[in-house]
Amino acid sequence: MFKKAAFLVLLVIPFMACDKNEDDQVQQNTPVRIDFLHSFNEDAVDFSNFNTIQYTNGFGTSLSITRLRYLISQVSFTNQEGIKTLVKDYKLVDLSQDNSLAINDILLPPGAYNLKMRFGFTEATNTSSIYPDLNAASWNVPENLGGGYHYMQLEGRFLDPGDTPDEPFLYAYHTISAVQNPGPENTREDTSIEIDLGEITITQGATQINVNMHIDQWFENPNLWNLSELNGMLMGNYTAQKMMQENGQNVFSLASNMSD
Amino acid sequence: MIQKILFIFCLLYITLSCGEDDNQNQGYSPTPVNIAVPAVFSQLLPAPEIPANNPLTQEGIALGRALFYEKNLSADNTLSCAGCHRPNQGFSDQRRYSIGIDGIAGFRNSMPIVNIAWNTNNKFNWDGSANSLEEQVLEPVINEIEMHNTWPNVEQTLQTDPRYVTAFSNAFGTSTISQELVAKALAQFIRTLVSGNAKFDNYLLGQATLTPLEEQGLAVFLDENRGDCFHCHGSPSNPLWTDNDFHNNGLDENFTDLGLGDITGDPAQFGLFKSPSLRNLAYTAPYMHDGRFQTLEQVIDHYSEGLVFSPTIDPLMKTVAQGGVQLTPQDKAALKAFLLSLSDHSLANNPAYQNPN
Ligand code: HEC
Ligand code: HEC
Repeated sequence: MFKKAAFLVLLVIPFMACDKNEDDQVQQNTPVRIDFLHSFNEDAVDFSNFNTIQYTNGFGTSLSITRLRYLISQVSFTNQEGIKTLVKDYKLVDLSQDNSLAINDILLPPGAYNLKMRFGFTEATNTSSIYPDLNAASWNVPENLGGGYHYMQLEGRFLDPGDTPDEPFLYAYHTISAVQNPGPENTREDTSIEIDLGEITITQGATQINVNMHIDQWFENPNLWNLSELNGMLMGNYTAQKMMQENGQNVFSLASNMSD
Repeated sequence: MIQKILFIFCLLYITLSCGEDDNQNQGYSPTPVNIAVPAVFSQLLPAPEIPANNPLTQEGIALGRALFYEKNLSADNTLSCAGCHRPNQGFSDQRRYSIGIDGIAGFRNSMPIVNIAWNTNNKFNWDGSANSLEEQVLEPVINEIEMHNTWPNVEQTLQTDPRYVTAFSNAFGTSTISQELVAKALAQFIRTLVSGNAKFDNYLLGQATLTPLEEQGLAVFLDENRGDCFHCHGSPSNPLWTDNDFHNNGLDENFTDLGLGDITGDPAQFGLFKSPSLRNLAYTAPYMHDGRFQTLEQVIDHYSEGLVFSPTIDPLMKTVAQGGVQLTPQDKAALKAFLLSLSDHSLANNPAYQNPN
């Protein structure tokens, strides 16, 4: 039976590959696309804004961004009956890669949903080495630092007040699951962040959803971030990781009218 | 069995329904081949990326191998690809700058061309100037300080050699030799150059043990406060030992070679070069894009105390103000021992990679 079905499917492939059959069957599912947008204070940020010291964080430090990659997991839509559809296990967003900035293979019936996702991996899913694409992207965390994968790599340069712009300092704001006692006997704590984006209405036709990362919030709320003190080697710094987790609570929101 | 037949049938079907087979020869039926994927790679990495328009075949690989060692690709018939990508030198060149046919030296160190099928970023050369392997391999043939030939001349030379006429016909179903097909065959062969049999690979498979010094070196490599090499050069979870991305690792205050920035024109990318894989360092000296370091000690000293600031330096070079992380002599020796455990001593002798001509 299975083979027969496979055979039929295979028979159909050549036709699909060559002609475009417009399929006028009534589709119950409609395409949904999630775009990941980024901003610093009120300014939209994309790769073209990288590398220039042009942002000021809540602490008053001027900074640039040279790299921003982060991991989103467990993207789910829950309908009004409480039925949850997981549309993506995980996704690495990398601002230097245009093709990583959207999830565009979602199909769902029109209706009202609650949209949730997670920043980083939960403990249960943060197992070392198990995601080949993330391994190839060198997204791993060494075993002595708890293993598993990074949540975010935000990197750039900054000026201390009074500093000359010719020789700025460097920062690498990396978030991972917080680790105590780095080394062979380390213990790891889940510092991933649930992002509840609230109600979404999916209508027949194409629905597009914008999720915005307010990069400035990583430096601001509730912990004002002093880059002069906390700029690197943060992976093994448990206290810093906990502060990052706190600051991450308000980083993501729906951007209702940012499209077109 | 039935499934296999079905599969072949469907493949044929696709070809028949879409293809326009003008130049196809009647007996054209090359044998599909898969890359021999090392165990560690199949555990940890995505499957290699093979372009749909250049599938690997036995005939294509054999032809590519002959071409790789073919001195007639150069204008004066003296230099083959292998002349600058030597199997016993990790498929790179131990001369700081390779010498082209006119005796003129280039300005960059040759690159080791192994595990290229896993370069999913598809940016080739130190400066990312080529966007596919098929595109890259066209270039050395006409490069004035390399093989200094012209493609019409190469096509003509090969066309007069009956062995190549047959080989192209078997591999691609046409006896008309073109630069595109030369590039495809070379790319096929290069994709089969795979290195995954270093001591460290066997250690990951539980078939070898590291010495205490190598183990310490691994710890330095993975320690954010010491080597912090893993952010750019892979880890036990990324056995490519490179991120295939571009960085400025603090070599120069002023650039004579703009690297990636020369290609993109973006000043923010001046002085960025592709992170090389750390596999086979035992064979690939000298090091860096310009081969400035003869030894691994010099490389390690660079990261430890030789970093210099420039506006595009990578933020991971965080201790640049102090010149580097200041590794102890013990840490340096350990790091070196670990790096050497990534060398694959079987690579040069792989019978499939030898000169067939
Ligand atoms: C005269 C020496 C020389 C010859 C001959 C030569 N190469 Fe190279 N090859 C180099 C150098 C030097 C580089 C680095 C170039 C750069 O970054 O500008 C390189 C880079 C490459 C790369 C890029 C590898 C990577 O990881 O990005 C490939 C692939 C390659 N060569 C294949 C070939 C092939 C195929 C031939 C024969 C057609 C060939 N080379 C002939 C010196 C040579
Ligand atoms: C910010 C990313 C980055 C980090 C971190 C980094 N490297 Fe590199 N490494 C590079 C780049 C880029 C190059 C090539 C630079 C060039 O040629 O201009 C390179 C070159 C090398 C080479 C030369 C290889 C060859 O074949 O020429 C070695 C060896 C090396 N690095 C080892 C290390 C070690 C050991 C560490 C840790 C102490 C380290 N690297 C940290 C990016 C990095």
